Amino acid sequence: MKKNLSFVIALVVTATLAAVPLFVKKDSLLTYLCMILLYVSLASSWNILGGYTGQVNLGHSAFFGLGAIATRLLWFAGWNILLAMLVGGLLAIAFALLIGSPAFKLRGAYFTIGTLALGQILYATVGNLFPQISSMPVQDLISYTLVTRYYLFLAVALITVLAATLVANSRWGLGMMAVREQEDAAESLGVNAFQHKLLALVLSAFLAGLAGGAFAFFQIGYYPQYPFSPIWTLDSTMMAYIGGTGTILGPIIGAIFFVVLKEVLSLNLAEFHPTVFGILFILVVLFLPGGFMGLWKRIKDKQQKKRESMAELSHP
Amino acid sequence: MLKLTEIDTFYGDLQALWGISLEVREGEMVSLIGPNGAGKTTTLQSITGLLRPAKGSITFDGHDLLKVPPDKIVDLGVSMVMEGGRVFAGMTVLENLELGAYGSRARKERFETMEHVFKTFPRLKERLNQRAGTLSGGERQMLAIGRAMMSKPKLLMLDEPSFGLAPILVDAIFEMVKGINKQGVTILLVEQNVRAALELADRAYVIENGRIVGEGSGEALLSYESVRSAYLG
Amino acid sequence: MLQPLAQNIIYGILIGALYGLAAVGLSLVFGVSKFLNVSHGELLMLGGYASFWVFKLLKIDPFLSIPLTIIFLLLIGFIFYRLIFSRLIKLEVEKKIQNSLLVGFGLSTILQNVALRLWTADDRSITTAYSGLSFELAGLRLPAVRLISLAISVVALISLQIFLKKTFTGKAIRATVEDWQSASLMGINIHRVYLLAFVIGCALAGVAGTLVSICYSIDPSMGLNWTLKSMVVMVLGGLGSMIGTFVGGIILGVTESATAFFIGGNYRLIAGLLLFLIILIFRPQGLFGTKEGDR
Repeated sequence: MKKNLSFVIALVVTATLAAVPLFVKKDSLLTYLCMILLYVSLASSWNILGGYTGQVNLGHSAFFGLGAIATRLLWFAGWNILLAMLVGGLLAIAFALLIGSPAFKLRGAYFTIGTLALGQILYATVGNLFPQISSMPVQDLISYTLVTRYYLFLAVALITVLAATLVANSRWGLGMMAVREQEDAAESLGVNAFQHKLLALVLSAFLAGLAGGAFAFFQIGYYPQYPFSPIWTLDSTMMAYIGGTGTILGPIIGAIFFVVLKEVLSLNLAEFHPTVFGILFILVVLFLPGGFMGLWKRIKDKQQKKRESMAELSHP
Repeated sequence: MLKLTEIDTFYGDLQALWGISLEVREGEMVSLIGPNGAGKTTTLQSITGLLRPAKGSITFDGHDLLKVPPDKIVDLGVSMVMEGGRVFAGMTVLENLELGAYGSRARKERFETMEHVFKTFPRLKERLNQRAGTLSGGERQMLAIGRAMMSKPKLLMLDEPSFGLAPILVDAIFEMVKGINKQGVTILLVEQNVRAALELADRAYVIENGRIVGEGSGEALLSYESVRSAYLG
Repeated sequence: MLQPLAQNIIYGILIGALYGLAAVGLSLVFGVSKFLNVSHGELLMLGGYASFWVFKLLKIDPFLSIPLTIIFLLLIGFIFYRLIFSRLIKLEVEKKIQNSLLVGFGLSTILQNVALRLWTADDRSITTAYSGLSFELAGLRLPAVRLISLAISVVALISLQIFLKKTFTGKAIRATVEDWQSASLMGINIHRVYLLAFVIGCALAGVAGTLVSICYSIDPSMGLNWTLKSMVVMVLGGLGSMIGTFVGGIILGVTESATAFFIGGNYRLIAGLLLFLIILIFRPQGLFGTKEGDR
């Protein structure tokens, strides 16, 4: 019953989002929505490895960047954008497979620092190899429509959330969560930790790569280094935590919250949104593990308990 | 001097101690014996504050120990030697002993106290500037006890001082402990080596599965049939 | 061919000293409390800016204003510790490391953003009357400010060593690292030890920052790279060994210089990070643990 309801809600939301460009004509608003969808993709893809499998990856932007760079190059070379994005995603997968084995030799915080270093290596290397700004060629500029970009971001976001949902509810998802909770115990129960982590990594990479491709299609001019910047990782990680890691809705809520907050702050405390976000992040890590979703769950549990005790009182 | 009343202690959700009550009077040597996992170390940790009991009370010299954090019990005169001859391995024997007298009460008199410790454990003076990690098992145990003595305790608690030591050393260690007791220090000895623990003690408690199942004088318990068969084989 | 290489190596050693100094700060905090303060680089940056503004506004010589930097960072460290890190004490080791990492991340975001808004993204550097002074030795150029910085780094570390080895408080810190339970039973207040180690670590970062602002340059985004460098050196040098950490700093500095010389200046950073990854992966698990393993 509950599952059907969720499914219906998801369909309604999707349909609404798809219909948005029919009603929203303002470019700035449409751009905000694009950003929200982009962050939803980034945060949700991060969450597969970080939230469900418990491996905090601080080099997530590497996948985003790889997807972006491959897509951009191929698209400018004349390829169809969708194919270019697919290649971008595959490049991200290739990288994930390359680093997966050595990376997962590291456990816990050491994995996190390792990914942080790796992300920085890619960021610096790309900056060295491609120092010049990447501008959109004239023919693409002329045919640029924001609406197409919006639908692309929407598609990527939908694919990401769908993939995350399917995995989370599958046996693989269970295994991943087992690895997150107690890796050694999970292993003794027959869960191959490495396989699960690798799957999470590869999936996370592919989806982030797709998001990177969408970004390459959207952003008119940028330094090739930019998508590799740690700021994308930071933002995705913080969104996932604030919304609630290990849940499907968490990263979505976090992404919406982030973009909205950015807007609200830009009215008064312009450009201080990283500070506000940083403070919120620290507060969540210290006091509110599970983020908004966790808080919501706790409130629901309390109400449930109240209902149960009321029921007991009336039927002694 | 030390009194535990109906102590319940948990490890997370797991109950380890059930209604533990015991008493150590001034000047006594009291042993706490029992099999592995019975709760002996847990009891000691409840006293020192490294674990907090969920229920019950612990008083020492009139002070409510449940309100005292672990780093303050040494000021009250309680000193503990943890099991396994734990010393600060990366630091020298001298530094270990100095740290034993960290509390301000004992720090002023630390040179005299150290001379005193050397009388009981002359080997430590020989090894004064050696890193504690390079000492033999027996020497480490001596250092651990000597270090505990540096705080001039009124009550000295020892957790399995004989553990892992060769029999000849075990006798020596117990002799030293007896000697410390004769100097007026009250002793609570937790031991798996039942014979020695009962021979030395004025009184003893038997703990099993987190509960006190027996109490009596050392001699009486030694002759008690079930104790003999259970522990002395 | 040899001369420019030797010059490069010299420069590598000179900056390596600062890497070592910064790393010791991080290492001290991690060794004592198992907090991995990822905002270490930002604290360094703050130290640099403090000296910069003291120099600009009060005209105090940057080397002489180091005590001010120290006080400033001790205060900031105290505030951050009390507000944030102290709440992580009760966690068990793995969670402690991970959460301190996350929290440090958040803190670094905040500090970077604040610095950017307050002082703009421009590179800053302290230029004194003697900034251009340098000595010649066997045809090699030794800039005066960098030599002085090397000396100060060494002095700072020797002072720390003396503190840890000879004072009761220092011994208490070392004892806490070895065995916090026994230490607390000896009357050592573990919480105060954690706090002390943390603020000292911050102060060391601040001093390093001052030296960086004199010898090189600072900007709001420098933090992450310095944090990573500190981690590399911490890993290279081994926990608990100050000399090892200092030498590790030199190794990193020389590695970077050699890379710059043979491959190109842009790859300095990458070389260090690659070195980091290689060490992380190929050294045994107990890499960050003490000899007795993580406790």
